[in-house]
Amino acid sequence: MVRLPTATRDWRLVGRTVRLVLGIPSYAAWALLLSILALTVFSLSQSLSVLAFVLSGAVPAGAGLRILLDQYPVLGPRYDLVTGFALLAIAALVGVNLALVTYHVREHGLSAEGGGGSAVGVLLGLLGAGCAACGSAILAGLLSLFGVAGLGTLLPFEGLEFSAVALVVLLLSTYWLAEGMRGGEIRGCPVDID
Amino acid sequence: MNRRGFLTTGLALALAGCAGDGGAGEDGTTTTAPPATSTPTPDAETLDTHPAAADLAAQPTLGPDPREATGVIVAFEDPSCPTCRRFEENVVPQLREELIDPGTVSFVFRGYPVIYPWGEPATKALEAAYDHDAAAHWTLLAHYFANQGSYRGSEPATVYDETESFLAAETDLDATAVVDAARNGEYDAAVQTDLDAGEAAGAGGRTPHLFFFRDGVYRTKSGGFTGITTIKNVLEV
Repeated sequence: MVRLPTATRDWRLVGRTVRLVLGIPSYAAWALLLSILALTVFSLSQSLSVLAFVLSGAVPAGAGLRILLDQYPVLGPRYDLVTGFALLAIAALVGVNLALVTYHVREHGLSAEGGGGSAVGVLLGLLGAGCAACGSAILAGLLSLFGVAGLGTLLPFEGLEFSAVALVVLLLSTYWLAEGMRGGEIRGCPVDID
Repeated sequence: MNRRGFLTTGLALALAGCAGDGGAGEDGTTTTAPPATSTPTPDAETLDTHPAAADLAAQPTLGPDPREATGVIVAFEDPSCPTCRRFEENVVPQLREELIDPGTVSFVFRGYPVIYPWGEPATKALEAAYDHDAAAHWTLLAHYFANQGSYRGSEPATVYDETESFLAAETDLDATAVVDAARNGEYDAAVQTDLDAGEAAGAGGRTPHLFFFRDGVYRTKSGGFTGITTIKNVLEV
C-alpha cells in the first residue's frame, strides 16, 4: 500500500535521512553536481539555438558565458522571481533525491525503488521551465495533441502549475526513499528515531 | 568561514559578476558597435535569404532601416502571449534606449498569433492599424499587452469591438473603417505571410521568437523571454 507523508514524524524522517546522507561529503558533492546538472538541463533546454551559437565560437568566450548565464533562473531575467525560485527548488530536490537513490542502491544494495519519482520530477520540472520560459506555448501544443488545447486557458499561472506538481512528486519520492531506508542505518546512525 | 567556503563563495561571486550586460557600451551610452568577432561563411543566411526576413520592408519597424543597421532583431510576437508582454514591458524599453534609438539596432515586429485564439483577430487589427498609421500600430500593440486579462477568452467580435473603441478614443484613425477592414478579412493574407515566415524560420509555437542578424547576416534565434544581456552579446553591440 502506498503511504503518504501525513504526519510530522514523516517529515522528520525525511529531514533526518537527507541530513545523514548529505552529511557524507561525497554524497553532498554528488547532490550538488546533480542539482546543477538538472538546473542546466532545465535552463539550456529552452535555448538550444543559443547554446549551439555559443558553442560554435561565433562570439568571444566572455560573451558566450554571459549569454549562457543569462538563461538561468535568478542569474538572468528569463524567469520571474516565483518561477525562478521554483526551478531552483526543483533542481535542488532532484539532486537530493538522486543522491538518496544512489546511497540506497550502493550502500544498502537495493534496487532503485522510488527512483521513478525522480524521473517524473525531472520531466515535470522541464515542462514547468518550458512553460514559464515561453508562456503557454508548450502547454498549448501539448494539450492540442490530446484535442484539449482550450484547457490551457483554464490554467492561470502560465505553466507554474507543472513546477508545483514537480515539487510535490519529488517530495513524495524523497519521502518514499526515506521510508524505504527506515529501520536501517546511515553512517552508523539509525534512520528511524521514533 | 573555512577555506572551502571562502573559495566557493568567491567562485560564485566571480560568476555572478560575469552575468552583467557585457558587450560594448556597458555604461549605457551610445557607442559605435565593434566589428563582429566571426566572419560569416559563404553559405550563411542573410536578410535576403532567411525566411524570418521574408517581406521585411512591409513590417512595422523601430529604429533604423534594417538594411542599414548594424544589428537587426526580427521579433515574432503574439499580442495574447503573456511572455511577450513581459518582454515588451521589461526588455524593449531598455532595448529602445540603448540600441534602437541610437540607431544601432533595428527591431522588426511580426504578428504571430499562435497562443490564445483572441490573438488572431488582434493581429489582423494590428495589420490594419499599421496600414493606416505606423504609430497607431505600436499604440494598439501596447494596449493589447496591457489588457491581456480582459481580452482573454473573448470571441473575435468582442476583440474587434473593443479594438474599435480603443482606436476611436486613443488615435486619430477612422476606427470603424480600420476595424471593419480587419473584420472583413482584408488583412488575412498579411497575417498569413507572417505565420508562414515564422513557421518556415522555425518559430513553431513559441513566442516571443527573436531572430538575430548582424551586418545583414543571420546569427541565431531565441524563443521565449530573451534578456538584454543575451541580445547585446549575440549581436556584439
